[in-house]
Order: sequence, then structure tokens, then C-alpha cells
Amino acid sequence: MRRGLFLLVGLALLAAGCGKSSSSSDLGKLTVAVDVPVTGSPYVAQTIRQGLELATANLNAGGGVRAGEKSYRIDVKLYDNHLSARQAVENARRALDTNAIAIVTDGTGVNATWQIAEREGVPICITYDGGSGLVDAETRPNVFRIAPTNHGIAFRYAEYLIPKKLKVALLSDDSAYGSEGAADLERAFSENPEAVATKLTLPAGQSDLTPQILRVKRSGATALLVWGQPPTIAAVLSAARSSGWDVPVYAPPTGADPFIRQQLADHPEWVDGLTFASGRMTAEVGTAPFESFQSQYESTYGADKVGVKTSAGEPVIQPPEFAMYAYDFAHVLTAAIIRAASTDPKKITAALNQVTTQGANGDERGFNEHNHEGVVDDDVYFARFHDMTFAPVPDDPLSSTLPVIPQTG
Amino acid sequence: MRRALLGAVAAALCAAATAAAAPPSQDVVLPGPVPYPTPNPPLAGKTAITGGFTRYVFHIRNNERVLVGVDETGSPSSVRVRQRLDVGGRGDYQFAISAPIEDVLRGPGSDSEPGLRADQVLWAGFSPGRKVLAADVTLRPGDAAQYLPVRLGLEHTGDGVTLTVTNATVTPEFEYAGTTRQRQIASLLDRTRRFARAGERLIAGYATFYGRVRQRAQKAQIEAPLRVEGELRAGSGKPVRFSRMLGDGEPLALQVHARGEGTPHVMLTAKPVPVERLLRPPGSAPTWTVAVKRRTLPGPFLLERLLQSRMRLVRADQYQTFLANPDADGRSRSVYVYETAKAPRQQAAAVPSGDDEGGGPLVILLAIGGAIVAAGAGLVAWAHS
Repeated sequence: MRRGLFLLVGLALLAAGCGKSSSSSDLGKLTVAVDVPVTGSPYVAQTIRQGLELATANLNAGGGVRAGEKSYRIDVKLYDNHLSARQAVENARRALDTNAIAIVTDGTGVNATWQIAEREGVPICITYDGGSGLVDAETRPNVFRIAPTNHGIAFRYAEYLIPKKLKVALLSDDSAYGSEGAADLERAFSENPEAVATKLTLPAGQSDLTPQILRVKRSGATALLVWGQPPTIAAVLSAARSSGWDVPVYAPPTGADPFIRQQLADHPEWVDGLTFASGRMTAEVGTAPFESFQSQYESTYGADKVGVKTSAGEPVIQPPEFAMYAYDFAHVLTAAIIRAASTDPKKITAALNQVTTQGANGDERGFNEHNHEGVVDDDVYFARFHDMTFAPVPDDPLSSTLPVIPQTG
Repeated sequence: MRRALLGAVAAALCAAATAAAAPPSQDVVLPGPVPYPTPNPPLAGKTAITGGFTRYVFHIRNNERVLVGVDETGSPSSVRVRQRLDVGGRGDYQFAISAPIEDVLRGPGSDSEPGLRADQVLWAGFSPGRKVLAADVTLRPGDAAQYLPVRLGLEHTGDGVTLTVTNATVTPEFEYAGTTRQRQIASLLDRTRRFARAGERLIAGYATFYGRVRQRAQKAQIEAPLRVEGELRAGSGKPVRFSRMLGDGEPLALQVHARGEGTPHVMLTAKPVPVERLLRPPGSAPTWTVAVKRRTLPGPFLLERLLQSRMRLVRADQYQTFLANPDADGRSRSVYVYETAKAPRQQAAAVPSGDDEGGGPLVILLAIGGAIVAAGAGLVAWAHS
């Protein structure tokens, strides 16, 4: 009797163990490569990686993703492109060698990597760089983007600023980001040359731009639209404000980079009034979906602290905007794998054109056969800084509908 | 007082007895504004729409120009639609329009770029209050042509070409019969006529039937009345113009003959239009109500005219929306334009003509012959190597 009992218990334990090891071994493994500038632009790299990892961790905890008859867990493999196209190419090759089913990138080197990935049918998703020409559904069928585009931002700025009858100085720095933005601004303002006071290229990385800003002031400019890296925007603000010129300054998404506020922490009033354009973080459904995502993100990784405080002494945090884009791509990718019922990258790439998911902000996210942009131009909004935090502007139809995202804590 | 009371009781009893003797009445819903008698149009694609939605905040006016290319026999060889959606209302929108779609391009005047998925045109963005969404949609002719409102036939006859234009919207529909009150039906006919004249969509209406409501054994043949205008030419012959109504009591087909030799060319527009002729009151009366006051009109005639006119208005409304309007209550207008497609260019046309490059049929034949000889020689050489 006792021996029988032991046998039963033994069999039960074995069965339980087998069950566990069997379900674990049944789960296949898929790899998504994330190629970001860990050493070139750590904030961007970290936010993209964490957004992607948060989404895949959730998916894996829920049993992975089902492709046909089998379920798979998704692993994220990190590569550092050092903001170098050459390194990005090397990373893409290494990622393909490990059978990655997709590459998520800030955008560095995509002009070179897309062809390498296309040979294997592997999709690339850009979640930061809005450069025109990086994404083209016709000529680069495997390149997708979830991030506001330079084209959309430039045209939205033209739409926003021209009716204000300002004389805008179009400034850009000589980085790749700056030159690409300058080209889009040129196109956006081409039909209204009377709105442009001057165009000027600024040296990226130079901390003192006083002579250039003086020249711009003499041109009769009544507003500055600065398309450049965060240090350039900080330098422009510094040069203008230190000379007592209270000109309104407008910027692309880099205007929200924590670097600018860190750099000007001693003169918080210089940041006041800086307006930037970016993709809206909340949809019409309200703030709840984004706040839920933000809370999950912050409880997993901690808040992205800007490193400055408001006048009331509250530490300022950065909402995880670009993390949201990487997070959303993971979900669209998962929907594509399910639709393709396959882990063949070619089939997944084709299926990416046919699926829509709900994004972290409650908005619909997806691509189609003609358009591989996950953030439409209409989603570009404007926000203005005050006391080291920003709020949507009230004088733009879209922005005026958006709530303020909490940024202290 | 007592006599008065007795009189009142007697009157009440009499009224009750009359009511009990009268046949039971019931209100029957008249046709319109929906449902449509057939599922298409609007067209539907093979994929289900997910995620597309229209919230009540948007009012959308939909204008379509359906361009149908026809071959030398009159059969459709291409179907393209230029669709313009005038969106009113502020907020986020996401629309998906389903149809057998081959491709879509941004249309003139569009504020946004259309997206394409398998059998779906996608629109997504933010409307600040007004927004124009225009697209040029290319449809698969094999799937879309069966829902076109007009069928053409082109036939070469002795001295020219004959075009037959047929209203292809005819569909059988059930029709009620029974006893109604002449005055109510006349009033309903007047109301229906007012909607038709204003070009507005019908609103729901009821007719009171007394006694049994029957369904006619034979289904009514209902068409969308179409105003057809166009021109037919045979080669370089004199063009023949035509303008006719197909339906609304007029014949459902027309024939046009053009004299001449050579390739026929037809250009035709067809517009669904409201019923006019069948809703005209008899005897030159200004309204149906006046007409029935002047003389008794048979009840079945009035009822049939009311029901069939409304069915025709519904059918015409259906053909105003070839591609779906995301706002089901929004106003839609469609014009169908048929034109003979240009004959595909022959291969020879691609070859430079004349003697500029020394080319020509003889040179090409010689070149092909030379190539064959060279290939044969090469094959022999390879076999012996």
C-alpha cells in the first residue's frame, strides 16, 4: 500500500515535470534585433530598447506569439551602431546571421542596411529618425517607420506658422539630421517665400552661435525655426536669450530632448516659450491608455529623469514617447506574425501591410501597401515649454484638443 | 337629462358595434430609405473591414465619378473611380472603404494620402473641421463590372455601328397588396414626390392597411431610373448624339445607330435620377391629393404606384454609392462615364518608323533571322567542343 502510494506520488511528480519541460520546449524562439546608438545617443538608444523589451516581455509572459501551429517567445538582441552607418551595416549582417525576423533601429545607416535585410525579406522599423527618403513603400518594401516624419513636421510647421505672419528664419545645423530637415523645410515653405526671413546653416556642436544669431536678427526675422541636434537648439536659445532677444523659437522633436533643459538648467527662463513639434502621445480616447503604458514603463525601468526641476522644486521626467513607438512596432509585428501564420520574414513583411493594432496611446497603428509610415502627418502636434515642462499649444486645431501629460514626479 | 344620458349610452354602444364590425387595421412600413434590394452596390472587397469606423461627429459628402473603359464590343475592360469625400467635423478619423481594389492613388485636391490594403482603401488622420479626401481607385473589372448600372453592346451592322444601352439595375422585389384609404395613399404619394423633386433621400413612412395584407404573387421589376447621354461615332463618320431616360416608365433600353466605317467610339454618361414621370399626378392635377378629390382612382393602382415609386427611389439611391460612403447617412452622388478604351498599341509601333535609324520590318526580320542562325551555329560549335 505504502509502496503504491510512493509510486503514485512519483508518477505524479514525473508527469508534472514532463508537462513543464514539454511546454517549455514546445515554445520556439524568435529574435528581434534592436540596433541603436548606445554610445552615440544613449537616451534615444535606451528608450527604444526599453520600449521594445517591455512589449516583448508582456507577449512572452502571455504565452508568446502563435505562428500557425506553434507558439514562439520573442527575444530582443541589442546592437550598438555608435551613430555610424558602417557599424549599422555590420550589425545588420550579424543580426541576419542569427536569423533575426526584424530589425528595430533609430534610423542610423538604414540607407545602407535596408538592401542587406531585403535580401532575406527581413523588415526594418525606424522608431526615431523622420528623414524623408528613408522610407518608401515602393522602392524599400521592407522598411517601415513609427515616428513622426520630417516631411510631416515641416509641412505642419508651414501650416501653423505662415498664418501668424511671422518672418521665419529657417536654421539648420550641418549634421545629417539638420540637412535632411532643412530640405523638408525648404519644400514646405517654398510656396510662401514671403514668410521666410533668411536661411542659415549652423555648425553642429558649436556652443557659441552668437555671431550667427546676430546675423539672423539683422535679417528681420521675427521667429526662429531651428532644425538640428539638441546641442544646436540649446546654443541658439543661449545666443538669442543672452543677447536679450526674446524671439519665439520652434524646433523639431529634438527640441524636447532632455539635453537642452540640462544645458540651460541655470537659465530655465531661456527654455520658456521653446516650441517643438512631435507625434502626439495621446489619442482622442484620452490620456488613460498612454498613462497606463507610462506607468508600466516606469514601474519596469524607472522614470526617464530629465535632471532638472520645476520652479516648485519638483523633479522633471520625460514621457516615454519614443519608447512608445518601439513598443507599438512590437505589437504590429506580432499581429503580422499571427496573420502570416509563419515565421518566414518575407511573409511577415507582406503581412505588416495588412494589419492594424491599437497603439500604446489608444490610437490605431499599422501600415499599408502604399504607406509604411505608422505616424501620419495629421498626428504631428506642437508643444511649448514653460517651467521646464511642456504643454500642447492652444492655437493649433489638433494640439488644442490634447491634454497635458504629467511630467513631474 | 335622463333622455340625454340614454342617448349618449346608445351612441356609445353604436360606435362600439361599428368598431367591432370594421376590419382590423395595421400600419405597414413603406420601402425606403433602406434596405437596398441587393447587397451591392456599394461594392465590397474580399477582406473584412476591421478597425475602420466612423463616429457620429463626421458628416461626409461623397462624390464619385466612375470611369468605365469599354472594348469594341461594349464590354467593360477597366473600371476606375475618382472618389471625393468632403469630411465635416473635428476629430480623429479612420475610414476603410472596401471594394475589389487593384490600386489607389491620391486624387486631386486631397488633403491626405490614401492607404491601400488587400481590397481596402484606408484613410486615417485628424480633421480640424473640414477635410477633403480624394482618391483615384482602380478596380478589378472582372469583379466590379457586374455592378455597373448600364450595359453596352456595340455591333457592326451593314453601314455602320449600332449601340445598345440597357439599364442593368432591374431587380425583382416583393410588393404588398390590400385595402388602403385613397386619401392617405395620395398624401403619401405627394410626400414621396416632394422628396424625389428635392433630390433627397426618402424618410421612413407607413401606410394603413385594412384587413388582410397580401404579398403579390408576381414580383415587381424595379430599376434605378437612369438619365443617359452620349455620343456614338463609327470611325470618322458623323457622330450621333443621344439623351434618354432609361426607366421611370420609359423603356429600359435604347439603340443608336451611327453610319461610317472604322473603329466605333462611344462616350456615355449615366446618372441615377429620382422618379419623376411615375410620380406625376394624373389629369394634370397639381397633386395626388387633388387628383383623388377630382375623381376616384382605383385603390390598387394608387398603392402600386406608391410602393413601386419608392422602390425605384431606393434603387436609384443605391446606385448613387458605387464605392461606400463611410458615413452611411451622408449624401452620395455618382456619375458613371463609359468610353471606348483606346486599342492597345501594337508592338510594331514601338519600333522607330521611317528610315532614320535604318530600321523597319525588313531589318527586324533580318535581325531575327540572323540571331536564329547565330544561335544555331553556336549550338553546333558547343556540341562539337
